[in-house]
Amino acid sequence: MILERFNLDGKVAIVTGGGTNLGKAMSHALARAGADVVVAGRTRGTIEETTSEVRRMGHRSIAITTDVTDSRQVDDLILRTLNEFKKVDILVNNAGVARGIEPSPRDPIPKEPGPIWEWTDDMWRKGIDTNLTSVFYCCRAVSKHMVERKSGKVINISSAAGLRAARSLLTYCSAKAGVIMFTKTLALTWARYNIQVNCIAPGIFRTPEADPGVVQAQASSIPMGRCGEPHEVGPLAVFLSSEASNYITGECFVIDGARFVGYAPADYAPVIPLED
Amino acid sequence: MILEEFKLKGNVAILSGHGQSWLTHLSAALAQAGANVVVTGPGKEDLENAAGEVRRLGRNVLAIPLHSNSSREIDAVTGQVIDQFGRVDILVNSHNLRFGKPFLEVSEEEWRRVLEANLISVARSCKAIGQQMVKQRSGTIINIVSGAGERGLPNGVAYCSSMGGVIQLTRALAMEWARENVRVNAVGIGWMGNGIQEGAKDPILSYIPARRRGEPEDITSLVVFLASQASSYVTGHVYYVDGGVMARG
Repeated sequence: MILERFNLDGKVAIVTGGGTNLGKAMSHALARAGADVVVAGRTRGTIEETTSEVRRMGHRSIAITTDVTDSRQVDDLILRTLNEFKKVDILVNNAGVARGIEPSPRDPIPKEPGPIWEWTDDMWRKGIDTNLTSVFYCCRAVSKHMVERKSGKVINISSAAGLRAARSLLTYCSAKAGVIMFTKTLALTWARYNIQVNCIAPGIFRTPEADPGVVQAQASSIPMGRCGEPHEVGPLAVFLSSEASNYITGECFVIDGARFVGYAPADYAPVIPLED
Repeated sequence: MILEEFKLKGNVAILSGHGQSWLTHLSAALAQAGANVVVTGPGKEDLENAAGEVRRLGRNVLAIPLHSNSSREIDAVTGQVIDQFGRVDILVNSHNLRFGKPFLEVSEEEWRRVLEANLISVARSCKAIGQQMVKQRSGTIINIVSGAGERGLPNGVAYCSSMGGVIQLTRALAMEWARENVRVNAVGIGWMGNGIQEGAKDPILSYIPARRRGEPEDITSLVVFLASQASSYVTGHVYYVDGGVMARG
């Protein structure tokens, strides 16, 4: 039956950045679909919280404190997972961050602090390392295991900002675009090993701490008229983790309420009659 | 465990299309996921097979043969479906008239036939059935297109244009109906397994990163995903299921 193909019973998943926001929501969804979940992240408290929520759903879960910009810690994350669970079926590379000026109701998209001539090498490197290099580290660490098993699902979390530019968000957009091409290239490289590599490009999602004025300003720019709720990305992660997507690889799944589909502001709808 | 979001319990799905061999698979998949199914199209035998499959799964089914695919006929389908089920939640358009010919030899009549079959008929079906969805302020439309709508192919000018048209129809209509809570997406399919004789050398196979052609089962699970609440924040996009073809150079 078709619904069985969405089942993740007995699967083992790793979610980086699993303590908050989309990472937490995806951890929940993977667990609801039947998977055991290793929750990785920098902050012990939040990843442990996700872990105990997964356990309450009746699944095994461990929290492993990991800074994904440190390849030794990433290697250790995979080793400890293999020791504990003996395999990795699903890797969700979600950790990433846009650092800088917080959005405001007047300017609801975050910015990296400018001007660019004041940027240090370190600021640039941090943005690229956290959002792009970390994906390479995690994939490299799990690669031998997945290739030898001839099975695996990798889901990289890019962003709609990897497809469409945002003013003064230079490292973030560049790194997220890099994640999309990294995904495609790895998908082609691993297609013969039955490993599917895809990415999700979320648009604007509501975060629990977001300022209501910002959320409202963001919502009005979105054709669907609202920001995404974190739980709405969960089923997409489950779909891409399951055998239902075995013929899908190298693809980028935008989930944005049509925010990045248009050619003009969301409410611009010109009426132009045909002339005789 | 199966996430509730994937289930189509009690939903009413309409399949509209021609030229596709997987009508039965698609009907069965939607029925298995819990939907009642309305199958429409020109092939009487295909309709009967599909309807039989849905009935066997214990769902309600309506098979409506279409002759001309005119807007009058499609409007009548909508009326019949509303009479029977009272609502419509899912529309799947799968229109595929295959055509290949050097551009200089394509007649205006052939252009018209290809655009009519692959593009205008989708617009017609979206209008007739989407009208009801707008009234309900809920619904999801899934247009099945070929990857040739995004990439080029020699001898494929008319066909590629028609499929590209459906992709743009999808994006523009998604923008227009986003506030009406009607989602519009496309499923981009790759090279499917039909038409290749066993034992014959397949000229495409080595081009497909997954090293196999697509099967109906590959497509149906993506259709169920886009038809269900699992994709509640997805509209205006083409999701490809093609063994990696669109990713490659």
